[in-house]
Amino acid sequence: MTKQVKLALAQISCNCSLFAYNIRKMATYITKAKKQKADLIIFPELVLTGYTIRDRIYELAETIPGPSTRKVENLAKLHNINIIYGMPEKSAKANAVIYNTAVLTTPKGTFGYYRKMYLPTHSVFEEKRYFRQGYESPTFATPIGKIGLIICYDIFFPETARLLRLKGTELIVCISASPAVRRSFFETLTAARAIENTVYVAYVNLVGVEDGLQFWGGSRLIAPNGRILSQAKYDVDNMVFGIIDYADLARTETFVPTLRDLRPELFTEMKALTEKL
Amino acid sequence: MLLTPSILKINPAETKQKITRFIKDYVAKTKAKGVVLGMSGGIDSSNNAALTALAIGGNKTYGLLMPEKETKSQIDLTHAQQVAKQFRIKTITIDISKILVTVYTSIPNFNNSNLKAKGNLKARTRMMLIYYYANRENLIVSASSDKSETMIGYYTKYGDAAADIAPQQDLYKTQVRQLAKYIGIPGPIIRKPSTPALWPNQTAEKEIGIEYEKLDLILYGLEHFMETSKIAKQLSLPARTVELIKKRWLNSEHKRRTPLAPKLAFRTVSKDFRLPYNME
Repeated sequence: MTKQVKLALAQISCNCSLFAYNIRKMATYITKAKKQKADLIIFPELVLTGYTIRDRIYELAETIPGPSTRKVENLAKLHNINIIYGMPEKSAKANAVIYNTAVLTTPKGTFGYYRKMYLPTHSVFEEKRYFRQGYESPTFATPIGKIGLIICYDIFFPETARLLRLKGTELIVCISASPAVRRSFFETLTAARAIENTVYVAYVNLVGVEDGLQFWGGSRLIAPNGRILSQAKYDVDNMVFGIIDYADLARTETFVPTLRDLRPELFTEMKALTEKL
Repeated sequence: MLLTPSILKINPAETKQKITRFIKDYVAKTKAKGVVLGMSGGIDSSNNAALTALAIGGNKTYGLLMPEKETKSQIDLTHAQQVAKQFRIKTITIDISKILVTVYTSIPNFNNSNLKAKGNLKARTRMMLIYYYANRENLIVSASSDKSETMIGYYTKYGDAAADIAPQQDLYKTQVRQLAKYIGIPGPIIRKPSTPALWPNQTAEKEIGIEYEKLDLILYGLEHFMETSKIAKQLSLPARTVELIKKRWLNSEHKRRTPLAPKLAFRTVSKDFRLPYNME
C-alpha cells in the first residue's frame, strides 16, 4: 500500500452551453497535474456539464459506462493517473432516473462511483426535482489508499463521513458546487469532518458564474488533525497540490481518539428520534 | 433575529467584487460589446454605472441621460455627468420631451392628470431608447433596480426594470448606499432623496410613506420569514405599516415574473420549461 500520495485539487469553471469544452479543459488540467507527478486529480461536482443545467440534464446525463466515462478512462490510462470527477449519471434501466454522481477512475478503468445521498432542494437548489438519491456509501480500496466519496451537501450530515470512516476510509473526497454565500459553512464543515473522524479530507469546489450563482472555489486538503495542507484561491480557476501520508492517521488517532470513544448506543437513540422528527 | 441597522451592513469590498465579476462574466459569455444603462443622476443608476465601468471599463459602458421637460433637474444631470466623468463612462444625452409630446398627442383622449399612466410612459420611453442602443451597438441592458424597490414593486413594469441583467437587485437601498460610498460615488448623490422622476417633486420616501432605513429592515424581516407583528414590535412601528409593506410586496409579484399563462401543454414557457441561460 502506498503511504504517501500526491493530490491535485483542480477547481475549474464549466461551460454550461458547450459541454464538450469541459472534458477538454479537464484534459488540460490532467496533463498539468501529471507533470507535477500527482497520483490523483480531483474535479468538482457535475464538472462534465456545469451545475445549473436544469432541464437539459435529461439530454446530458449519461450512463456509467458511457461516452464520457470512456473518455476520462482514456485520459487516466494515457497519463497513468487516478481521476475523481462529478457527472449526471443516467440509470441504465430508466431514462428519467438520474443521479448526481462522483466517479473514481484509475489507470485501469472506472473503479467505482458514489451517488449523492443528500440532495439540496431549498434556496436556489432544486436537486430533488432532477436526481434520485443514492443509497450506498462505499469505500474504495485503491492502490492509492482507501477512498470514500461524498458530494457537497452530504458534508452537512456528519453520518456520511462517519460511515465512510467506519468502513476504513483514509481519504474522504468531497466534490462540490457551492455558491459564494455558503463559504463559511463549508470551511467549517470540511475541517470538522477531518477532525472528528481523524481522516484526510480533500474538498474541491466549482468556480465561475452560472445563472447568477457565483461558485467560490477555495478547494482545500485537510489533515486528520484539521491542519490545512493546501488551499486553492477563491473564485478563480486554480489547481493546488498536496501530499498526504497515511502513516499520520495512526498518530492522530492516538492523539485524538474519537473512533475509540464512539458510543454506538447514541446512534440507536438518534435513529429512533430522527424517524419521529 | 434582531432588526437593527447593523444587520444590513455589507462587506463592500466583497460585494463590489461579486457584482463586477457577475457583470464581466455575463458580458464575456454573451460576447456583447458592452453595457448600456440609463443614468438619472440618482444613487442607484450612478452606482450601477460605476460598477459596470469598474467591471468592463468605462469605454464599454454607455450611460444614457434622458431628461424631459416636466421633471428636468440640472442638479441630477450634473450628478450623472460627474459620475460619468469620474468613471470614464461614455454618455449620450437625449431630451425625450419631444418624443413624449408626440406620444401624448397621438393617444386619443390622453389623460394628462393621470400621473401614474403618464409617468410610466416616460419610463417605458427611456427603456425603448436604451434597447435601441443595445440592439444598434450589441450591448447588454443593465437595470439599476435595488432590492427595496424591486420587492415592493416600486418601479415601472417593462420600464426602468426591463433589462438583461440587474447587478444590484439583491442589495437593499441602504446597502447600495454603503457600496456607493465605498466605490467613491460623490456624497451629495448618496445623500439626496431618491426619486423615480416620473412627475414633478416626486420623492420615493414620501410616496412609499416610510424612510428606507425602516423599509429595509421590514423587508429584511419579511425576507427572513418573520411575522409582521414581530417586525412591527421590534421597529416600534404600527402593525398596519408593516402589513401594508407586506401587501405591497405580495401584490407586486406580477411585476417580477414573466406574464402568467394557463398551463395547456406538456411543457409550458415560464412554468416548467426550466432552462439554463444558454450563451453559446
